[in-house]
Amino acid sequence: MANAPRPAMLRYVLQGLAYAAFAAVVGYFSTAPVYRQLGDDQAVLKLSFSHSGQLKYACRERSAEELAKVEPNMRNKMDCPRERAPVRVELDMDGMPLFRVTTPPLGLRKDGAATVYRRLAIPAGMHHFSARLADDPNGEINFSSEHRVELTPGQVLIVDFLTGKGGFVFTGG
Amino acid sequence: MQSLGQRVFLAIERAFSTFFGERLNPLYYLGAIAYFLFWVAVATGLYLYAFFETSVVQAYASVEALTHGQRYAGGLMRSLHRYASDALVLVIVLHLLRHFAFDRHRGFRWFSWVSGVVILWLTYASGINGYMLPWDRLAQFVVTATTEWFDVLPVLGGAMARNFISNANVSDRLFSLLSFIHIGLPLSVLALLWVHTQRVPGAKTTPPRPLWIALLLTLTLLSLIKPALSQAPADMGTLVENLNFDWFYLPTYALIGTWGATNTWFFVLGATFVLLFLPWLPTRFTRGARVWSMAVHPDERIVDVRAGETLLDAGLREGLPMPFECRNGGCGVCKCTLVHGEVRLQAHQVFALSQAERAAGKILLCCAEPLSEVELTYVPLPGARAQPVKQYVAQVTRLELLTSDVMQLDLKIDGGASLAFHSGQYINVLLDGDERRSFSFASAPHTATAIELQVRRIEGGRFTPTVFDTLRVGDSLRIEGPLGAFTLREDSHKPIIFVAGSTGFAPVKSMLEHAFHTGLQRQMILYWGVRSRSDLYLGTLAEKWAQDHPNFRFVPVLSMPSPDDGWSGRTGLVHEAILTDFPDLSAHQVYACGSVHMVQAAQPAFAQRGLASDDCFSDAFHLAPQKPVHGSDAEMVQLGGSHG
Repeated sequence: MANAPRPAMLRYVLQGLAYAAFAAVVGYFSTAPVYRQLGDDQAVLKLSFSHSGQLKYACRERSAEELAKVEPNMRNKMDCPRERAPVRVELDMDGMPLFRVTTPPLGLRKDGAATVYRRLAIPAGMHHFSARLADDPNGEINFSSEHRVELTPGQVLIVDFLTGKGGFVFTGG
Repeated sequence: MQSLGQRVFLAIERAFSTFFGERLNPLYYLGAIAYFLFWVAVATGLYLYAFFETSVVQAYASVEALTHGQRYAGGLMRSLHRYASDALVLVIVLHLLRHFAFDRHRGFRWFSWVSGVVILWLTYASGINGYMLPWDRLAQFVVTATTEWFDVLPVLGGAMARNFISNANVSDRLFSLLSFIHIGLPLSVLALLWVHTQRVPGAKTTPPRPLWIALLLTLTLLSLIKPALSQAPADMGTLVENLNFDWFYLPTYALIGTWGATNTWFFVLGATFVLLFLPWLPTRFTRGARVWSMAVHPDERIVDVRAGETLLDAGLREGLPMPFECRNGGCGVCKCTLVHGEVRLQAHQVFALSQAERAAGKILLCCAEPLSEVELTYVPLPGARAQPVKQYVAQVTRLELLTSDVMQLDLKIDGGASLAFHSGQYINVLLDGDERRSFSFASAPHTATAIELQVRRIEGGRFTPTVFDTLRVGDSLRIEGPLGAFTLREDSHKPIIFVAGSTGFAPVKSMLEHAFHTGLQRQMILYWGVRSRSDLYLGTLAEKWAQDHPNFRFVPVLSMPSPDDGWSGRTGLVHEAILTDFPDLSAHQVYACGSVHMVQAAQPAFAQRGLASDDCFSDAFHLAPQKPVHGSDAEMVQLGGSHG
């Protein structure tokens, strides 16, 4: 027997207390303490897009000698390399740089889209954003946009890039 | 760190035992409790799944309807599901910590340890995945944080998080996928639990009834007092400052917030690596990789104990009906008597095994690791039966008359199988009518495919006359084995005196051939006592051993030599010849194999010459009136097969 035996009632009470302590630990840490994911008066900026850069090299016509070296079914006159240019994006807020990101295209042949995702907590309030993007092989900026928005605490601003919509798109979540 | 952990666990367990009792101490059933909590989570999860709607709009609403619309059914089930899952993590972590603290994760236990770590991670994944389903603010956080965390891995590069960037990006199919994962992951946990438990002999997967009832009541009360609730509905367009956080499942996400995603990956992968390789880290205990043998009474079996294995684990693995309850040195149910050998007792409660009991040779099977070959005796569970000894069909490959009434009978098991045994053990030949006849192995263990027996003819016997009269090469016999706890102890350096009476030569031959094969360098003397010269049926073999092995001597002793024998050697009773040659036996070990009369006469005489009881081995000794363990059949063993 473990030490001196305790009276039955006392043992049941102590068992109850042990189970209560177990329940208290489980119950408390199941929801507490609270996790603070965002500071007071903060909003969130998400820069996210998936965009294919321009083809890095122009198509060219194969010479007769080159065509003769390949099988007849593969004699395509035009040689169009698939590799795309990396995408460079710059985002400023109130004249201050927030992001400077250059992303290579995905894929073994570097022919996929360049994907960017950044999240940043920023102060709530009125802000002026300036976004620029370069997707051509020379790395020159060929898209730019300005946006002014009033962000409330907790609000999410998404800065996307959609070629079909003319470039940068500033939206809420 | 481990000794500190042991002290902490022992102190808490001691305190718990004062009011839970040793048999219901929850800390002794952490694995079984984890199983129970898993089943609670599964059962309640099935109920929730029946009402859960897998769509963006309905996911939150259906969980709210469950929680508030049927508070004492769905609401209770949801809360039980949450709290059982939380408690599961807590119990698994405690289970892991306890095994680490008590060094029960090394050696052969590596598999259980590694599978346990994987189970813990899969449990985390299941729980985290579960938090995505109610589609509330916490689900929004978990989905976003998870995808962001995975996006820092190469290749993904932001593609995952983009799927949850706005409300418009979240589709109904997401919830079908999440539900599918939330079924698949627990199923994989269950499969791994099964594997994890299968490798633990005698593992308990259900806690004692009072314990699980109390646990279920506790969780139910907690569910009623503090029901699990959703937070506000998810809205990807906004974030809330504070979240009610489940710290059992989500501490990694707090780390991501503090350290960043990449550093957290390094931490998690590093911690996993360390956990997985803990079993192979150096230890302060230098057990080596030695396998020791454990001779067990009353089963009359010899079981190999693997490095790091407790005697209880080894016994249960072999199907012995050893008593046990807590397996943690707390209840004392597995107490037994150590007859021979040394053990290291792991940390245990003093009330389970007192100093006085330890001094009296008692040990706890669940905490004892052998440091030498051991022999023990225990009281089997009432009504429990040992796993039957394996049976074989063997073919007679040789019948050779060694002398007028002793036949060498060689057997080979059908199918080319081998029968692993220890020298000194025996097999039973099974006869019709559930009768058995026992014969010692005369061959050494390394020739296990060829079993050699020496059978003395007993007139009027049921089996032995058939060996001489009707049995032919090619005939089949049914046998079972190996049996017997009598074997050569190789953990001593003392010189050995073998005493064989008549066909008691058979087990001695097995032990000697094993000793020669393994290169045993101890001094060995064989005294073989028979009536007349013709009874020394393998005397030339023993003489050849003496010529070939400088550490071996052979002394034949005839009790009734006839004049025709022309015997000039030793005469009289074999044990008296030993007493003449050895005035002091305190530095020797004696292995006696012969008639009960011979052994019973020799034992006290040898003891008077200083032979320690720990150094005197014989099956016949166990047949003495004070230790009746195996019925009349046992007599056959030490006679080397002279039963009819």
